[in-house]
Amino acid sequence: MKHARVLFNGSELDVTVEDLFAETGQLKSKVDGLLINEADVTWLCPVKEPGTIFALGLNYADHAAELAFEPPKEPLVFLKGANTLTGHKQNAYRPDNIEFQHYECELVAVIGKEGKNISREDAMDYIAGYTVCNDFAIRDYLENYYRPNLRVKSRDSLCPIGPWLIDKDDVGDITNLKLTTHVNGELTQEGTTADIIFDVPFLVEYLSKIMTLKPGDMIATGTPKGLKDMQPGDTVVCEIEKVGALVTHIVSEQTFYGDKY
Amino acid sequence: MSKNPIVKGKLVCVALNDAEQFNAMQAEFAEAPYKGAPQQPVLYFKPHNTWSTDGAVVEWAQVDGSPAEQMVVGASLAVVFGKECCRVSEAEALNYVEGYTLVHDFSLVEQNYYRPDIKGKCLDTSAPIGADVVAVADPQALTVVTSVNGTVVNETPVSQLVRGVAELISTISYIMTLQPGDVIAVGFPGQRAPVAPGDKVHSVIDGVTELNNTLGQ
Repeated sequence: MKHARVLFNGSELDVTVEDLFAETGQLKSKVDGLLINEADVTWLCPVKEPGTIFALGLNYADHAAELAFEPPKEPLVFLKGANTLTGHKQNAYRPDNIEFQHYECELVAVIGKEGKNISREDAMDYIAGYTVCNDFAIRDYLENYYRPNLRVKSRDSLCPIGPWLIDKDDVGDITNLKLTTHVNGELTQEGTTADIIFDVPFLVEYLSKIMTLKPGDMIATGTPKGLKDMQPGDTVVCEIEKVGALVTHIVSEQTFYGDKY
Repeated sequence: MSKNPIVKGKLVCVALNDAEQFNAMQAEFAEAPYKGAPQQPVLYFKPHNTWSTDGAVVEWAQVDGSPAEQMVVGASLAVVFGKECCRVSEAEALNYVEGYTLVHDFSLVEQNYYRPDIKGKCLDTSAPIGADVVAVADPQALTVVTSVNGTVVNETPVSQLVRGVAELISTISYIMTLQPGDVIAVGFPGQRAPVAPGDKVHSVIDGVTELNNTLGQ
């Protein structure tokens, strides 16, 4: 089952995504079973109470090579603030006066059960399901302190996520899922989760050795090669086979912040 | 979700903000992997599993299944936001503050600052946050004093931070919108104090608030 959260008539609503959604565009309210048209909602982050957002750097062998890095011997994990999250078909902004902002299409594993010191063998019992995120980076802002630093990776709106959370069992094997990114309809990134260096069970074991994992925590598992600069007006679609396709519109900093600019 | 009644969203900490440490590290900053002193505040999150309270026992860290050889603690003045704070100037920054409290950052020894220190900083219960949120006219005039088992180990005047409270709020508010219940710990002593299992850690800002914690076994 696919679970989503939307704004409908000014209120946040939990919905399921109907099997025939691609044809009907219909969502079903979890409260009263009412069928709602996608055209009448604003998509939100599918995780209701986002916990810790872990993200992986250089976790695809091909991407590490693209950035001229040796593949890491230990996972490169960083944390992101929940201010970065926004839903499907929403705006993300390009900061003023920068040279290079790129998307990162990533498979996200969402924790469904609290645990510590979880073994690799038991790890999948702690996963509720999966979603897609676009973990944008502003390369101009990289500094060699806690790299990738928060200025690069914790900006408002720069981690769109969704459209929905799909139950783990509906996806099954995640070790060879195709990932693609299209910018304005052009294929710009293509890869497979088969190239992941540190896989989801490894990461659950690794992180839970350090700290307690809780429901709502998320692990964004990194991105394959294929970086491209983004500009206001661009539409970027990050898609992962069997999981979903996440659409984001790039706007200027001024458009995004409006009165607060 | 939060085990702390004050912090609700983000706990943002500022590293390398002690001027004494910052100046002493200039030669190291020039070398690899840093290749230059930081131009921006050096920030890290203490995630929600770390949040704890005044009076709480802080778990002694396990590293690969064995008790950590050493833990350290630093205390910081902490800014608690009372309203949404997005892209504010330094001049107006303090208007968004509900009040001030203390944060203890317990961690493994800081080895270096190149990569995010998940192993060292994200330990369960390692970020106790004070019970009181107190309005203060001039946070730059405050001093944080930390004692371990009754002996003073650090005395950090806020005025000696590389970047002050208003500047940090402004800079961070241009990176991420801060919400009511978000907290910024503005700066820790460069020399974090070593602690042992069972130690009692006490920090105080005179006339504002105190924070007491005990290390677990």
